[in-house]
Amino acid sequence: MRRFIESSITVFSWAAGLLLTLALLTLVGYLLKKGGSTLDVSLIFGDTAPLDALMLRRQVFDGLFPAIIGTLLLITGSMLIAIPVGIAAGIYMAEYCSGRIKSFFSLLFDILAGVPSIVVGLAGLSLTIFLHRYFSTQITTSLLISCLSLALLVLPYLIRTTQTALESIDPLIRRTAPALGASRLQNIVRVLLPNSISEIVGGIILATGRCAEDTAVIMLTGAVASAGLPRSIFNQYEALPFYIYYISSQYTGPEELARGYGAAILLILICAGLLLTALWMQRRLTTLLLYR
Amino acid sequence: MKKGIHVLSLMGAAAFFLLLSITGAAASDLAPFAGQEGALRIAGGTAHIPVMKEAAKQIIQSNPKIQISIAGGGSGLGIKQVGEGLIDIGNAGRKPTDEEISKYDLKLFQWAIDGVGTVVHPENSVKALSSAQLQDIYTGKISNWKELGGTDRQINLYTRDEASGTRKVFWGKALNKGDISAKANVVISNGAMKTAVAGDPFAIGYISVGHIDQSVAAIALDGVTPNLETVRSGDYKVSRGLYSLSKGEPSELAGLFLDFIFSPTGQQIVAEKGFIPVR
Amino acid sequence: MNRPHSLTEYIFLTAAVCSGLLTAAVFIFLLIFSLPLLENGQLTDLLLSSWAPDKGMYGIYPMLMASLTLACLSLSISFPISLGCSFVITALAPARLRRLLLSMVRLMTGIPTVVYSFAALFLLVPLMRNILGQGSGMCILTAAPVLALLIAPTMIIFFVNSFANVPRSATLAVDALGGSEIQKLLYVMIPQAWPGIINGVLLGFGRAMGDTMVSLMLAGNSVSPFNSLTQSARSLTAHIALVMAFDFDSMEFKSIFVCGLFLYIVTALLMLLLRMTTLYFSGKR
Repeated sequence: MRRFIESSITVFSWAAGLLLTLALLTLVGYLLKKGGSTLDVSLIFGDTAPLDALMLRRQVFDGLFPAIIGTLLLITGSMLIAIPVGIAAGIYMAEYCSGRIKSFFSLLFDILAGVPSIVVGLAGLSLTIFLHRYFSTQITTSLLISCLSLALLVLPYLIRTTQTALESIDPLIRRTAPALGASRLQNIVRVLLPNSISEIVGGIILATGRCAEDTAVIMLTGAVASAGLPRSIFNQYEALPFYIYYISSQYTGPEELARGYGAAILLILICAGLLLTALWMQRRLTTLLLYR
Repeated sequence: MKKGIHVLSLMGAAAFFLLLSITGAAASDLAPFAGQEGALRIAGGTAHIPVMKEAAKQIIQSNPKIQISIAGGGSGLGIKQVGEGLIDIGNAGRKPTDEEISKYDLKLFQWAIDGVGTVVHPENSVKALSSAQLQDIYTGKISNWKELGGTDRQINLYTRDEASGTRKVFWGKALNKGDISAKANVVISNGAMKTAVAGDPFAIGYISVGHIDQSVAAIALDGVTPNLETVRSGDYKVSRGLYSLSKGEPSELAGLFLDFIFSPTGQQIVAEKGFIPVR
Repeated sequence: MNRPHSLTEYIFLTAAVCSGLLTAAVFIFLLIFSLPLLENGQLTDLLLSSWAPDKGMYGIYPMLMASLTLACLSLSISFPISLGCSFVITALAPARLRRLLLSMVRLMTGIPTVVYSFAALFLLVPLMRNILGQGSGMCILTAAPVLALLIAPTMIIFFVNSFANVPRSATLAVDALGGSEIQKLLYVMIPQAWPGIINGVLLGFGRAMGDTMVSLMLAGNSVSPFNSLTQSARSLTAHIALVMAFDFDSMEFKSIFVCGLFLYIVTALLMLLLRMTTLYFSGKR
């Protein structure tokens, strides 16, 4: 009986893996079939010369260039805010905090992790309305508000992964450096973080992916249908996921729809690119930090 | 021979002047933007976006120092945001109420006419309805295509969200302010409505006439098929204006933008995007 | 040297406190903006009535039920599949395939929900309409599998990570005793890694409950009282997106903050409950 259960679980697991792969292949195949033909330079740059666009000499119309840049800016901005805060809070949770306070914080971060992205967007929007009413009428939804909201959205992922990574380090490794006279901070920076960097980067990847794909937050906090490149963080901006959403609900003809599919493929490609970079960094960082 | 050359050169000159006058027309419509600088925020009705985008493209290409951002959000949002001074131009797919106009001191610019047509899947055999039948369908009293001479299948109702200008117009003029069944599926835009109806053989929905194409079939309402001609002539009653609004007199840049929409070039864009220009 | 309160500790503490405060700030913002509706003592009305703004009813009961059903259904589809996938990635597959699968899953976390929903709108909705033989094909039953696919990568990554954190000494012992990979998983890793598994499930549920695009595009959004899986229904998140376009001062707009507040409270209660059961069982062991 036990043997039967074991083998049926094995079979089920393989089936599950196959199902997931098939689902992904169906999706990608479908996107390529519908949008593959649009994938060329003009999808990104419209009728503007690519070099002019890249040098910011001319604004791009009918192309995805502003949306791509907007998405990259969003990712960079929100990760710049979220990574330091998330990792520091994670370290605090794993290394300094204990007892009641720890379980209280744990609960708070669990709640934050469960807060739906559209609610985070709503909070960002209400912050904007609040600032607009009481501080300056110049303040409206913008890149900055979106970055802040997205950072808040991914913060619990970063805290959690950092915390679990640190907590799961073998006690032997944990105690060695302090026994040799290292301070708590030295132990964290020199031993514990390098040993868990691979998992932390894993968490960062997850968080980056979330920033890149989220539509509900940016829909409420500053993404617009057309804006060109943002000139400052107080401007509204275009972003790929919002563009896809906009096309999916507003397209006027098959050509525009195909461009939406094209944008979806591009977004997946960008995510794949980020992932590869992160994997490469994961390997490099681990060797660099552990064996310097 | 000499005469021939004269004629040729004359024709050449004529062609040259013709060309000059065509490009000159577009250039002169854009000329007021020369030397302008600054940012313009536009938001509101989603039907307006294609026109706004094309206009912004031509303006910025003539003068890259101008920045224009265009957002959707719906007619209600456009009216409110321009009233609060959050944006420079608000778009609405319905006429703002008198209360809204006086409260915010709104100035109206109607630059196009658009109809709202009832649509079904192209394979549906039902091609015409009376107003009474349409109202009964939307309240849920008629719930099977069989009752209208179609196949024996349940009617799948589609409607728009409550903030939609298209819904307001359809509800007011086609349904005569009758109830819309709570069981109706709700979609969020004209495009989504077209997708839904084009994919569902038993669907009925309503979209902007500018959006109607081969993927859906327009239903004749009381004998009048909704298309650009019947809307223009006024035979098809379920129509509306597309408005842009400003709070008080528009700012200099916003004023120039609106002038451009009303210029020959601007009105040509309006026609290209499937609406009926007012000039 | 090991001073109890060093400067660095304060920095770390500040980060944690800030994150905690932000969690509270979200709640406070939602509360402030939904006060006008709550003050009138309409709480029970809001919770138990349905949505008909023309008649002055701003209830969210149908949406609340639809959201909960949708999240539970998609979680129950996704959980076994995710667990199975994490088994394959952790133990069953050869090393190279493992890495490939893991990269694939990580890539999937970056696929926008709007892309899933858009593809499903053209692939799954017509299929469901034909299978059911009635209705438009837009219903909870259509949205649930897509949502399941959407939350699977997050859960898989959490499961795989928590399996990877099981001390090597334990797994090596099984190897030494001649146990198979699946035995190692079932009898050693799962008992050790289950807090991580619960974390993954929590996050998965949160995402399922909180996703907007899938239910907005696939579930049909009708506001009629929810009573069947094959009927068009509207989730709380889709409701927020649909009502967003109202102007700031309208009751409709204020009522979406109440929706946000309820979403927040429901997730908070759920987390509290699960945390308490976790504590209870880990205390018992």
